[in-house]
Amino acid sequence: MKFDFSEDQVMLRNLIREFLTDQCPGSHVREMIESETGFDREIYRQFVQLGILPFPEQYGGGDLGMVEQAIILEEMGRIPYPGPYFATVMLAGSALQLSNDENAMARFLPDASNGDLIMTLAFTEDDTGWTADAISAEAALNGESVTLNGRKRFVPFADAADIILTVARTPGTSGQDGVSIIAIPADAEGVSTGKEMMFDVTSRTATVEFTNVSVPVENIIGEAGAAWPVLEHVIRRAAVAASAEMLGASRRSMEMANEYAKERKQFGQFIGQFQAVKHMLAEMLEKVENGHAAVYYAAWALDADAPDAALAASVAKSTMNTSSRKVCGDSIQVMGGIGFTWEHDLHFFFKRAKNLEVLYGDVDHHYDQVLNEVLAGRVAGAGD
Amino acid sequence: MDLRYTEQDQAFRSEVREWLEENVPRKKLETLDEKKAWHRKLYEAGYLGMGWPSEYGGRDARPMEQAIVGEEMVRARAPAPVNGLGISIVGPTLIHHGTEEQNQRHIQKILTAEEIWCQLYSEPNAGSDLASLQCRADIDGDEFVVNGQKVWTSGAHNSDWGLMLARTDRNAPKHQGISCILVDMSSPGVEVRPLKQLSGSQEFSEVFFSDVRVPADNLIGELNTGWRIAQTTLSYERGGNTLSRYTRMQESFNRLLDVVGIVKRDGAALIDSPHIRWRLGKVYADMEILRYSSLRILSRLERGERPGPEASIAKLHYSELDKAIQEVFLDILGPYGQQIEGIPDHIALEPDTDPFEPGSWAYAFAWSRAGTIYAGSSEIQKNILGERVLGLPKEVRADRVQATAQQASSSGNGDD
Repeated sequence: MKFDFSEDQVMLRNLIREFLTDQCPGSHVREMIESETGFDREIYRQFVQLGILPFPEQYGGGDLGMVEQAIILEEMGRIPYPGPYFATVMLAGSALQLSNDENAMARFLPDASNGDLIMTLAFTEDDTGWTADAISAEAALNGESVTLNGRKRFVPFADAADIILTVARTPGTSGQDGVSIIAIPADAEGVSTGKEMMFDVTSRTATVEFTNVSVPVENIIGEAGAAWPVLEHVIRRAAVAASAEMLGASRRSMEMANEYAKERKQFGQFIGQFQAVKHMLAEMLEKVENGHAAVYYAAWALDADAPDAALAASVAKSTMNTSSRKVCGDSIQVMGGIGFTWEHDLHFFFKRAKNLEVLYGDVDHHYDQVLNEVLAGRVAGAGD
Repeated sequence: MDLRYTEQDQAFRSEVREWLEENVPRKKLETLDEKKAWHRKLYEAGYLGMGWPSEYGGRDARPMEQAIVGEEMVRARAPAPVNGLGISIVGPTLIHHGTEEQNQRHIQKILTAEEIWCQLYSEPNAGSDLASLQCRADIDGDEFVVNGQKVWTSGAHNSDWGLMLARTDRNAPKHQGISCILVDMSSPGVEVRPLKQLSGSQEFSEVFFSDVRVPADNLIGELNTGWRIAQTTLSYERGGNTLSRYTRMQESFNRLLDVVGIVKRDGAALIDSPHIRWRLGKVYADMEILRYSSLRILSRLERGERPGPEASIAKLHYSELDKAIQEVFLDILGPYGQQIEGIPDHIALEPDTDPFEPGSWAYAFAWSRAGTIYAGSSEIQKNILGERVLGLPKEVRADRVQATAQQASSSGNGDD
């Protein structure tokens, strides 16, 4: 039983923290969010070239596991990093890897690994759910090509993406049947993106409309009409990755509030001396440490293909959904008026956490999943 | 990271499970002798004091092995050892701070339950503010003379010995005038008056001391260092076995799943209500977090690290969680949850439970209220986390202001 990071994992965390604090100080985050694309292409390129990707080595990745990705995402949450790492690596990259489609991986992953290719996954539609029932975009096979029609919303970094992996179903199918993932070049005819601006200004999304977009059948990732199990797994990984990011945002907020409580004086004493504030911070610490246990347990369970991997992912996401709103929100409360200014960085964490709360399953979705897993007996054994 | 149980752990678990299957008493333990016999059996099997050094009758067991025994005992519904405080608090205190002579005299008897021990800490005016305790132990030749009162003393009515904190210097600042003393509960002048608790059961007592003479040899450590010793014993209490607490919650949850599949309300099985499903999902998620964090603590203990102030996170977490969970259980069960006698078998938490005895939903609910009070209340844990982990400045406290003022006036200057 070893819950601690290995030496390599500690080195990875230090490397990422050093890179991000050097390259993405608060001042530069503000420049990035004011820019057209919302991120810095050069920093993104250098970042993915650190050799930290989960992709297989033959495609330029570092073959790293989910625990390592959680470490990276937690560090990103501490900035919070604005850029298409999550979209390219955790969403589109996971879809390619989990589809086991060697051709597609050979086609896209090497360029993604050196930062030349940005990808995203278009899943969400007007119906903003995360089950197969939420998918109504249609992909009609006709001979050697496939024609896509539909509208996707909240597609992460769709504006910057070169390839949009789009989830659509064969006309006439329903539920988990007939769902496919199709690689659509962003510049294909019939693809148009519409601007969205979210409360979390450090993350970019767009609405993407597909009108009779025709691509060769080779662009279907994995098997046509059989992608649901892959997507379920992609969403599970994304839920854990998002939880890691929320953990980073929460811990960083708590640290800032804690420092402030040691410096700020009111009524002739440090506000951190008041139990009202001290106990709030103690509860935040408890939530952050429990969140750490949940996120890394879930990441490990995915890597180990443990029987309770799905359960653990839902536990991690539901927990971070409720904890991060509390921790990031209470940090603002501790900081008072200063915490409510645009000038202070605290609101970026609060908003990033809020953004991630509704993605890859909200708290209701995951409590439901938890009970389903328990009733199906997919829980951890006691080592027996 | 590797969160698998090792083959060694798994083999040990099967061994423990097998032993418990064969040996857990089939009928309820009624008398103190029966309870002592079961305790002794557990010890002889190697399942008590297992982490203690072998020279004192332990087996230098790893923390994981201790956790496994804790979990398996819950699963097997094995009665808890009657000398629980002796094992969890007194033994470790003696091993760390006792003299060789004290250890030779007591440790073996703690393990075999020949001596049952209680912890004489809290007083009517010293609960959370334990260091303000007033029970006195005055030195008279080679004896202490103890006068005062203790309260909320678990198991005092059965105890042969008590681990006491008493004031030995009334002029020193409050934390520096306390000593830790072993008291023979059969000494003349000791009076135990049992107290009935909110749960209806009677596990704890008030204890009165009138001119009780205690040999000076019964002092643990140096005179007036009792507070420091108590700090370490409190952290044993807090470092505790959180994994077995999870297991207990999980056992109850699994039982509740059986019940909600059968019991109907407004014509439909409880499990079919989306509201109940939501709450069950939430409770299970919250319980899993306790499991993960317990494994994290265990992994730290396995590496040889002692539980530090972080143990307060575990204490705060499991005790508050237990309260929240028991509330949900009672919400779902409706009036059945509060029934202490005559509950139908298919709804009972455990069959054959007597009123005011462990094993009913209501009893577990009642006891969840104690967890956030004993062994350092939730409020104290949050102070510890705030001050010792987060490094926040200490609050302005009336007793500290007073102590500073006294010091200033007695030394004749106001520099301090």
